[in-house]
Amino acid sequence: MESDLIVVIVVATALAFDFTNGFHDTANVVATSISTRAMAPRVAVGYAAILNFAGAFLSLAVAATIANDVVDPAAVSLLAVFGGLVGAITWNLITWYFGLPSSSSHALIGGIVGATLVANGADAVFFEKGVVGKVMIPALVAPTLAFLVAGTSILVLYRIVARLRPSPVSRGFRAGQIVSGGLLALAHGTNDAQKTMGVITLALIANGSLGAGADPPTWVIASSALAIALGTYSGGWRIIKTTGTRIIKMDAAQGFTSQGAGAAVILASTHFGFPLSTTHVINGGVMGAGAAKRLSAVRWGVAGNIIVAWVLTLPAAALIGAAAYGFISIFGGGAVGPVVVTVLALAAIVGAFLRRAARGAPIPVQSEGGVQA
Amino acid sequence: MISPATIVETKELVQTVVFATVAGIGVTAIFSVAIWGAARYTDLSQEERRLEAGFAAAAAAVALLAVLAAVVIGVIVMTSK
Repeated sequence: MESDLIVVIVVATALAFDFTNGFHDTANVVATSISTRAMAPRVAVGYAAILNFAGAFLSLAVAATIANDVVDPAAVSLLAVFGGLVGAITWNLITWYFGLPSSSSHALIGGIVGATLVANGADAVFFEKGVVGKVMIPALVAPTLAFLVAGTSILVLYRIVARLRPSPVSRGFRAGQIVSGGLLALAHGTNDAQKTMGVITLALIANGSLGAGADPPTWVIASSALAIALGTYSGGWRIIKTTGTRIIKMDAAQGFTSQGAGAAVILASTHFGFPLSTTHVINGGVMGAGAAKRLSAVRWGVAGNIIVAWVLTLPAAALIGAAAYGFISIFGGGAVGPVVVTVLALAAIVGAFLRRAARGAPIPVQSEGGVQA
Repeated sequence: MISPATIVETKELVQTVVFATVAGIGVTAIFSVAIWGAARYTDLSQEERRLEAGFAAAAAAVALLAVLAAVVIGVIVMTSK
């Protein structure tokens, strides 16, 4: 009975994490379509939310990686999963508060790994094949690949349309962005929502509700899809308010190639079960499309930020996840620890929002700074 | 000493790189051909060069169909595993 209450808290926390993931990433998904005027902001946000929802049903490979390949589902405890989630959310809030670049996906994996290390020992973490092989190396390869694919694509594209009048070319690529933007939203939904599905499945396995190696139940898939779609839709209203002031300008061809490259990399990686930072991949595509046209158009500091985030997020979230588990375990193995942490976390979140609101809103479109007009 | 090849799922990673490269660059190139065909069709029609305009329109249509096919195949591949 008590463990069921912990499962409910873990599921609610994971879905809240999923919602914030969608909320935070709306900018990445829709900004290119909005900045090239391929779509009106309201249409782009609604379209992205619907395709985020649909994307979550496409595949279960990433969910299987999170549930089975990063930590040992047979050894991990329910409180460790909760500690990991708390670590990830705390790290995300810290980086949000200070405006630091971060990956929600890396924070989630780091948090789970850190909490499991403390709770269940090093044997319960699959460091080599899981953390390094399935997370860290793909996390480095994917943005680089998106950069190269977008860069090469834009060079090929410019050669093909070089002698045409600019007006029909621009109209054509704006129309193409309806497809490429849709694919990017679909890709984002499938990779990111599956991470939540994976964590909830891991919790259900740890609780004994599912057997090791089980796929996520339908209700887990549907609720994760809904949470990320609602987050994307909610996050979009902030983007609509700031359109035209903070979103970068690109031509329609660059928008099409960056979205196409990002979608291709995320979808291919998702098919093979690699949990990526979709933000980093989309940034890689934007920078590649910009750099191929004019090297100086790229804000190379963003590339530096991605590397810093890549190096820092996993260990930092792991440390916080470990600390969170340590704190929870003070209250014993029951539901008291998670309940206390949930109450404290809610109070801290409200406090942080109020303080942030008092100081002024953070820059909502951080990652589109990859290319300047 | 653990070799990197045993840690990384090399086959899957290489396939990811190949699929993403082929799909990303290929779809962009084919869609560019569709736009080239459509734009040339408009220009050639205005110059009343009907045969060449017909070829440009056919190129645009074939390229557009190829892009749609690529997208559909991509989604089918995603949902098949």
